[in-house]
Amino acid sequence: MKRLRTGIHDHHPIGYLFVLPSMLGITMFYLVPALMSFVMMFTDYSFMNRGQLNFTGLENLERLMNDPSFHNAVGKTLVFLLTVPASIILAFPIAYMLNQSVYLKKLLRTLYFLPYIMNGVAIAFVWMLLFHPSMGPINGVLRLIGIDNPPGWMAETSTAIYAIAIIQVWIMIGYNMIIYLAGLQDVPKELLEASKIDGAKLWHTIRYVTIPLVSPTTFLLLITGFISAIKTFGIIQATTGGGPGESTSVLSIYIYKTAFRYYEMGYASAISWMLFAIVMLIMLLNWIGQRRWVHY
Amino acid sequence: MKPTTVTARGASSIRKGHSVREGLQLWKVLLTAVMLGMGVLLLLPFVWMISTSFKTPLEVFDFPVQWIPEQFIWRHHQNVWTGPMNFVSFYVNSLQVSIISTVGAVAFAALAAYGFSRVKFRGREPMFLIYLSMMMVPPQILFVPKFVLFEWLGIYNTHWALILPGMFTIFGVFLLRQFFITVPQEISEAAFIDGAGHLKIFWHVILPLAKAPLATLTILDFSWHWNDYENALIFLVDKSLYTVPLGLQNFVLENSVDYNGMMAAATAAMIPMIVVFLLGQRFIIEGIASGAVKG
Repeated sequence: MKRLRTGIHDHHPIGYLFVLPSMLGITMFYLVPALMSFVMMFTDYSFMNRGQLNFTGLENLERLMNDPSFHNAVGKTLVFLLTVPASIILAFPIAYMLNQSVYLKKLLRTLYFLPYIMNGVAIAFVWMLLFHPSMGPINGVLRLIGIDNPPGWMAETSTAIYAIAIIQVWIMIGYNMIIYLAGLQDVPKELLEASKIDGAKLWHTIRYVTIPLVSPTTFLLLITGFISAIKTFGIIQATTGGGPGESTSVLSIYIYKTAFRYYEMGYASAISWMLFAIVMLIMLLNWIGQRRWVHY
Repeated sequence: MKPTTVTARGASSIRKGHSVREGLQLWKVLLTAVMLGMGVLLLLPFVWMISTSFKTPLEVFDFPVQWIPEQFIWRHHQNVWTGPMNFVSFYVNSLQVSIISTVGAVAFAALAAYGFSRVKFRGREPMFLIYLSMMMVPPQILFVPKFVLFEWLGIYNTHWALILPGMFTIFGVFLLRQFFITVPQEISEAAFIDGAGHLKIFWHVILPLAKAPLATLTILDFSWHWNDYENALIFLVDKSLYTVPLGLQNFVLENSVDYNGMMAAATAAMIPMIVVFLLGQRFIIEGIASGAVKG
């Protein structure tokens, strides 16, 4: 009888117990560190002068404005972000064809998806040898097709970032394909058949029916892709460590180096908030731009 | 291949009644062949890795590539597993970190997801919003303060520096909550009238229904922990504590010209994920397709 008085739709304080461990964990390992980092951004905190914490106001931010290494990192990050549209453009036709009638659909899906779940460091070392400037098989193929002076890839400052971008695209194709496959299954068959009956060419159906209908998926892939690409660290650190020179020093690498090589924790915090600002800016631009091409 | 294609086409155009269907079948075969070819091309780096791990140092860069080595040499793999820098301890460390983290993460995520979706309490929605908003914070912001915090807690350079934060997954709470919401409220109401409290409903009613999403989260979370390089790089110093990605990196640094050894070590690092993937493929792909974001 007693129980019936409090129904399941009433407030139950036991709810706090259910969420307590997670709230504690998130406070301890996300919220508090985030606040600490925000404060550190305005200090000269460093592991060299342990325990000392001097507030330096906006000094770190001013330093950012005049730091060529930071400017370089922003530029390299933007170049690296091009891997997002590139891998989306490559993944769509694969997903489209897999969604058509093919045999071995599941096996094919697995093949394309495999690079995504593999250990990034292991992948990085394999590609490092494949890209070997003088002896690697990639340049071997390029020479075979008549390119006598193939690029030095990771050994050359002008090409290193593109070599790593190629690895990233290779990794991301499978992920994008899986999401597109899910999106394509939601495309109503009637619409495609209607367009077929109207005599539309295959290319026109894809261009004017399928692509607009999966545009929400494309939008999702762009957003999540940018967020994860901007955080990419493992394949760069393991292959070039930001080099040669600063040619692959994207923001995540520059933050790591500033914090854990030069122990300038305060300055590193300032850079990491700039990374956050860039993420926010990209999200904002995407949200503004979506009206033009995303059809819900 | 080519002559068959021609005759098949010729035949189908003669027997007009079946032409559409046969044409489609042929199209299907061709498309499958193309897709298979592209898939194999995409996986060539893995083939190259495995083949190189069995070659002699002189054969590494043979061009055109000899995909199947003339003689299979096991020495490099033996060295990876029994040499001075052996992978056994990396494996043990990685398993320890990944398993404890994953068990904790799934348990805490299930509890929180239940609380956020099926128990009413004051302040639930704002708490959930704060919780979700933390997903926006890039890990780069957290590394420096976590470093300071872990030193202060005395867990820097221990496995706890990976395990404790690893036990909380915002994405996991989100994923499970999405599922819990879809379970009809009447089920809980019936159990409640029968005298079950929330703990009992959670354990005996909701969890058994959520086997598939729980499996998805377990596998995805395990794979993230197994592949995690960044946290290990920052928070582990002692070689005896190294997990597989760090061990692999260290192996490469110390054997920088032993390309065969490098590829054998890379293969060793990938094996568990291949096994996990083949066993739990359905769950991984479902989880990814339901909007999973790595990390």
